[in-house]
Amino acid sequence: MKKLLAPLVGDASPVTVIGLCKNAGKTTAMRRLMVELGEECLGLTSVGRDGEATDLVTGTEKPDLYIKAGDLFATARGMMHLCDVTMEVCALTGVMTPLGEVAVFRALSDGYIQLAGPSAAGQLPALAQQFAQLGAARVIIDGAAGRKSLAGAGVAGTALLCTGASLDRDMELVVAETAHTCRLFACKRPENPALCAALDGCAGRFALFRPDGTALELPVDESGAPRWNKFPREECVFWAAGGITDPLLKTLARRGAPLTLVAADATHILAGRSALDLFTRTGGTLRVRRELSIAAVGANPWSAYGWHFDPEKFITALRRALSLPVVNVKEEGL
Amino acid sequence: MELSYELRENSGLQWVLERLSPMSPFGKAAGREPRWYAPGEEDALNEELDNVSLGLELWNAAGGGMAAEEECACCAAPRLDPACLQDAAAALRGVTRCLPLFHDIRGSFDRDPGNPFDLVELFEIKHFLVTLEQLTQAYTALPPFQGLSFPPMAQALVLVDPEGRRLPAFAVVNAYHPELAPLRAEKTALEKAIRAAGEGEKPPLLERRRELAVREDRLELEVRAELTRKLMAYREDFLANMDALGRLDLLLAKARLAKRYQCVRPVLSNGTALTLHGLRHPQVAGELSDRGEEFTQLDLDLDAGCTVITGANMGGKTVSLRSTVLSLLLCQCGFFVFARSARLPLFHEVALILADSGPGTGGLSSFGREVHLLDRLLERTRGRRFFLALDEFARGTNPQEGAALARALVHYLGTLDCMALMTTHYDGVSDVAGAHYQVAGLVREIEGDEGEDPRRRIARRMDYRLLSAAPGAPCPRDALRVCRLLKLNPALMELFQADL
Repeated sequence: MKKLLAPLVGDASPVTVIGLCKNAGKTTAMRRLMVELGEECLGLTSVGRDGEATDLVTGTEKPDLYIKAGDLFATARGMMHLCDVTMEVCALTGVMTPLGEVAVFRALSDGYIQLAGPSAAGQLPALAQQFAQLGAARVIIDGAAGRKSLAGAGVAGTALLCTGASLDRDMELVVAETAHTCRLFACKRPENPALCAALDGCAGRFALFRPDGTALELPVDESGAPRWNKFPREECVFWAAGGITDPLLKTLARRGAPLTLVAADATHILAGRSALDLFTRTGGTLRVRRELSIAAVGANPWSAYGWHFDPEKFITALRRALSLPVVNVKEEGL
Repeated sequence: MELSYELRENSGLQWVLERLSPMSPFGKAAGREPRWYAPGEEDALNEELDNVSLGLELWNAAGGGMAAEEECACCAAPRLDPACLQDAAAALRGVTRCLPLFHDIRGSFDRDPGNPFDLVELFEIKHFLVTLEQLTQAYTALPPFQGLSFPPMAQALVLVDPEGRRLPAFAVVNAYHPELAPLRAEKTALEKAIRAAGEGEKPPLLERRRELAVREDRLELEVRAELTRKLMAYREDFLANMDALGRLDLLLAKARLAKRYQCVRPVLSNGTALTLHGLRHPQVAGELSDRGEEFTQLDLDLDAGCTVITGANMGGKTVSLRSTVLSLLLCQCGFFVFARSARLPLFHEVALILADSGPGTGGLSSFGREVHLLDRLLERTRGRRFFLALDEFARGTNPQEGAALARALVHYLGTLDCMALMTTHYDGVSDVAGAHYQVAGLVREIEGDEGEDPRRRIARRMDYRLLSAAPGAPCPRDALRVCRLLKLNPALMELFQADL
């Protein structure tokens, strides 16, 4: 088999496979990557439940995860009877899910597994460490689907972004949405080291700084929300720990003064394209406290809803819009 | 006796329990509901206190940071020789390293033996047994705690670790069933073939693999059912071990608490007398030290009957009640107490009735609630020895009737088999009491700190010590001075003063 994804992810671990929508080819990409990585000992898990034979949301057929002997996987106890590999229980994680506690297993034979890992991104780093201690050379995480729930991509390492016709009938819109997500993931940390240090120390929901990192007093109302009209007129840096939404960006845009907005990482930016465009047009800059990266974009021209894109056209359009490698995980060389 | 939520909160017992730091789930469960030692269980309580003493010696040997005289103050148990303490400290580290590793698997044993353990449960049982083996190895090197032993589990361990490798993992290995090895060999060969096969050749191979996987699953189920049957035979031993782990963990936590707060081992008095010297309330002391102030230690000698405490407002009368009740509760739960020395009798019931009624008093006023609680207590403890602490009893009704009721109660309590401690502002109550203590009060004359926090100004002038007073000695009249120190509205003060 031609190696498509393995060279693109390099040595990065964990690799999180995320999708812009359901049926974007996430599991196909994951399966392909697993095959390409050959004999490497893998640690596999998912954000929430995945790996089922039919997609629980859309009812379409999904590929199974077939793993090789020696691989490790973390799944909820309630999933054990759906795995047909010979299993060895290696550890418990203490992470509870609706399907029971997540346990780490070693596959003693080849076979099918069902993943239902931790549902919060914050629980993944500890799990990745546990995998490493048990001997995994690389961790692969089956991340969430849907641009507004990219949770799980917020871990170190790199991501594979899957996009496809299932997102929308309009190919141009799919390309634009994909480009938007890639642009978010390309957000950098601020250059000023003193400002970075100040941001790393932020524990609150909001904070205000000068571009050189010195703290400014943040005017707040009784509920603790910032009072936008009292912001200083000078150029300032605004830290928001939670999700960056459309209304927040529009409010900041209306302010009309140059401002750098800093989010925790790209997955925290939930705002749509138009609000972000408005924000940047009025002099706003978007930065992140933690940089994330996308190694490649996987494209699936087939949708689950009856319409399909022309594969050639779709890939070409994506390649034109993105500066990242784009691959068709379904067709090339399989 | 039931340790009600209200009693725990009001006495400060809850505060102490929250500062216990047991390491295992068993110790945490034991610490939430500590055992109550009633009169007649003196031997068991002494055994528990001996064990805490031993634990304290071990912590001191392991920590080494505490001065020798402080150690001596706490321990009445036979001293261990220093060489043996060194080894014991190492063994203690072995025990405390294991304790946090346990998971609570009591739920797994609450089942019908016909319902097989799943793989994760077997893993947890193996993990429990391997950790228990490590812990008991370290434990046997410790000087023995009384009445605490771990039933041997070697045979159960062989069941879940047939190869004896003590690896931290569990799988249904081939050794469990003669048919497993050949079946798995066949399946592995097939899986190798599947890896090498092209896409078109795979489906029949995968179908064959599925059949083998189903057969393997059946064999594994058979093994798990058999293992469950055998392991469930040791159910009582498992539960006894978890119980012993909880007790050991709680003992060590009690000892560590005693070390941290320099608590003292209470001596159980056979008679009716109660002696508390250098008594303190850790919660109040903690709040004071946060404000940079110091807790004034109290000395109390009580005998049967009712002792009355009078004194200025804000003179620490309620704190002395809470401290006494806390000491009694801690002692009867097998803890060391927050004092320099303590000699305590045991009671069937210890009660604390505070004047401040919180919300949700069920339609009763503060007076109604006091009377109701008192009545229930007297009903409950008929013929049994109890301790009762009352804070300004009957202050919520008119002073004349209130004083008469308080006097009557003090008199009545004197005729019962009980010990009581009551604070009051009513004159004439101490006349009928067995003994009378008075807060030394606002004795210090200080000038020139008018601008400071009133609380601090009162604290500076107040001598919080409890001094023995004559029965019938009048209650101090300090309300005016306290109001002045609290900066009450001058116009109001003037009227108040004129009326006195």
